[in-house]
Amino acid sequence: MSKFKKVEGRSAPAMNTASLPDIVFMLLFFFMVATTTKETDPTVQYLAPDGTETEDLTPYKQRSEIDFIYIGKPRNSSRAAAFESGFALSLDNVLTNPIPDGLYDANVVGTWKTDKFDSKPARMNAPIEAVITCIKADGDAPSGLLFSVRKALQEVEALKIAYAVKDISVLKAD
Amino acid sequence: MAKRDIPEINAGSMADIAFLLLLFFLVTTTMEKDTAYIRDIPKKVENPPEDIEIEERNILKIEANSANQLKVRDFYPEPDDISAIIQKFYTANEKENDLKSNFPLYSTATLAMCDVEYIKLEMQKDALDEMADKIKYDYLKSAQEEWSKKREAIQVLSRETGLTELREIDKQAHIKIVVQKDTRYSIYTKIHNEIEEALNVLRNKKCKEIFNESYTHMRFRYNQNPDDNLEDKPKLDLIKVLYPGKIIEVEPKN
Repeated sequence: MSKFKKVEGRSAPAMNTASLPDIVFMLLFFFMVATTTKETDPTVQYLAPDGTETEDLTPYKQRSEIDFIYIGKPRNSSRAAAFESGFALSLDNVLTNPIPDGLYDANVVGTWKTDKFDSKPARMNAPIEAVITCIKADGDAPSGLLFSVRKALQEVEALKIAYAVKDISVLKAD
Repeated sequence: MAKRDIPEINAGSMADIAFLLLLFFLVTTTMEKDTAYIRDIPKKVENPPEDIEIEERNILKIEANSANQLKVRDFYPEPDDISAIIQKFYTANEKENDLKSNFPLYSTATLAMCDVEYIKLEMQKDALDEMADKIKYDYLKSAQEEWSKKREAIQVLSRETGLTELREIDKQAHIKIVVQKDTRYSIYTKIHNEIEEALNVLRNKKCKEIFNESYTHMRFRYNQNPDDNLEDKPKLDLIKVLYPGKIIEVEPKN
């Protein structure tokens, strides 16, 4: 004869998860506001050098007035030997003759830039001179390669270039 | 008729939908902002004219070699000191011209002067056949644009401060960056960093004097939304006329 009632058969009450969507939506909105879209996953490894006094490219990205070129050592290191100096280019959205492994040299920059410009929707009326080409290069990349890209851009009259760095001024100002 | 109860919608899967969206944004976006130094590439010229003579005082040559050593004119400065040298280059003769110094000279421009120069160029342009001498024609046109820009700058300046003339640096004054093929990108951007720092210090100071607002702040606001901040454009142009920040990047030969 026991003094206590049997607790068998009674399950824990279900937790109310009605507010779970609200929490998740809150997280969602935070990320939507605090982040910007990635243009592409580059096929080269690069570590941008530090800098201060930079210009923020976000407004240009929002207006789609910017294209990206990445310069660095190929992620697939066995392909590095194919490139002079070991540094290769990675371009966002190649339309003409894309190479499967996504590694390019400076010769294709001209066609890539004009292709991208031609495929832009009509409402984007910025002329090609005003569409920025942003170069995101590894700190160790040689300037020679940088200037080959610059020359290719000059040929197609894409006359705005941006040298990307990682802005550390927030860390510096203490 | 009796009121019917509306059955409650099951919102159990709402969280799943929200999670899907959240994961999508997590994967396709990055936290870090893209920041860069924006530069202009000069237009390609088919038949470049012979070397135009430029006074030595108007060139600030910054060199970096393949061993990543820096040289500014005849000095070998620490990388962080370049900004101060550039500021000196721009402001040395700002108040008064010292002919003995090796820095660019300043001249004074007035509204009347702008008009006279503009008309002079217009007459030269009319005498020319556009098709026959395209390069010369384009040159005159760009020179004319420069004068009308200056005219606008003076108008803005006199509206804000009452001054009727504008002290401006020699239009040939420029910074020349010479690197070698193996110079590292980090050194190259360091040079641009120092130039930008020097220009921002000078421009901010001037902009505060005239408009009581910093140049970087004004530029940020304008870039964010050009159409809503149209009145900032002439102000920014004025500051750019005062400190033009002409940069020549020389293609490396070795």
